[in-house]
Amino acid sequence: MRIITHTCPNCGTVISANELEANRVMKCPRIDCGEVLRFSDLSHSDREFFLENVEQYSI
Amino acid sequence: MKGLILSGGTGSRLRPITHTGPKQLVPVANKPVIEYAVEDLKEAGITEIGVVLGHKGREEIQAHLGDGSAYGVDITYIVQGNSLGLAHAAGTARDFVGEDDFVMYLGDNILKQGISEMLDSFEAGEYGAGIALQEVNTPEQFGIADVDASGNVTRLVEKPDDPPTNLALIGIYVFSPAIFDAIERIEPSWRGELEITDAIQLVLKDGYDIDSHVVEDWWKDTGKPEDILEANRLVLQDLDGSLDGTVEPGADVSGPVELAPSATVEADAVVRGPVSIDENTTIEAGSYLGPYTSIGPACRVAGTHVENTVIIGESDISCTETIVDSLVGRGSTLGSAEGILPEGRRLVLGENSDLKL
Repeated sequence: MRIITHTCPNCGTVISANELEANRVMKCPRIDCGEVLRFSDLSHSDREFFLENVEQYSI
Repeated sequence: MKGLILSGGTGSRLRPITHTGPKQLVPVANKPVIEYAVEDLKEAGITEIGVVLGHKGREEIQAHLGDGSAYGVDITYIVQGNSLGLAHAAGTARDFVGEDDFVMYLGDNILKQGISEMLDSFEAGEYGAGIALQEVNTPEQFGIADVDASGNVTRLVEKPDDPPTNLALIGIYVFSPAIFDAIERIEPSWRGELEITDAIQLVLKDGYDIDSHVVEDWWKDTGKPEDILEANRLVLQDLDGSLDGTVEPGADVSGPVELAPSATVEADAVVRGPVSIDENTTIEAGSYLGPYTSIGPACRVAGTHVENTVIIGESDISCTETIVDSLVGRGSTLGSAEGILPEGRRLVLGENSDLKL
């Protein structure tokens, strides 16, 4: 299964796509970072793939 | 070589302790379980560590481990979010790991002998992966490996009805980057998770050798209260002991006892090691602490008999009952009902509490 992640450009924390998609816009989950991260930070192809297969990324 | 510590999961089998925190921070011998993993990796020379976080306890784990500098390591956090299986957790670390080999260590596991021998074995060959195994009495309840005479894995089977061996996979793996290509090609299992055994099986099918390392000393998955007590007992049985705190004249302290600098054993208290007593805790007169007991920070034990028990911290224990084989959560009060009418127990219990009165 394709696993899609995004790396915070400020602190290096890695965030999986399911987390980004659930929040759409979120603060970086690293304590004391605060960088704003968006689902749209993922590439177009990653977003498209994720949304087409979203059930795979849900519990 | 990098390290990856998996710290997700809900800790449901450790409720109610895990209602207020992640299972990886439950202490064993007054040290959170996850610290044993960090120390094992550090001892094996691995200082770049990724910590994979789920939904539960992600802030607490970050607050506890920080950037890793307190442990002499560099920690990167990886937020998995949904618990989609061990292979998914590994897969989220692909950018962190890059082209390195890496150790994947379940953050609620404790291993007595560390991981250096396992890494030496892996690095001595050209392996696609290495797995830690332990002989078990009930192989049908575990993921089981079939191995050849040279220790190479030939097959993995999940909870087999007819086990080929009694060698169970425990929660420690070494992977080459080949694992990531395998993870990309597996699909969620019937339970909706990406199974690491499926990915390893695929690495095997791709023609890689899979190393195995049989762990001879103890290993514990600390998923349940009885496992915490057992792990606490196993760690404490190797305790050297150091009386850095105050032992008042008239206190009776024997056996290996670890007494933190600001802890006190007062006169007429008895402590029989192995016992660990953390910072700012006082064992008052008339108390008895028996073997395999860990008392966390900022506790008071006043006249109570406690044995083979873990008291996590910030608790006041003054009942006249004997407490054995117990796990007591943070901030608990165990007092006496003596003299209070009507006679009887008085309890304020959280959800999923378990008492034997």
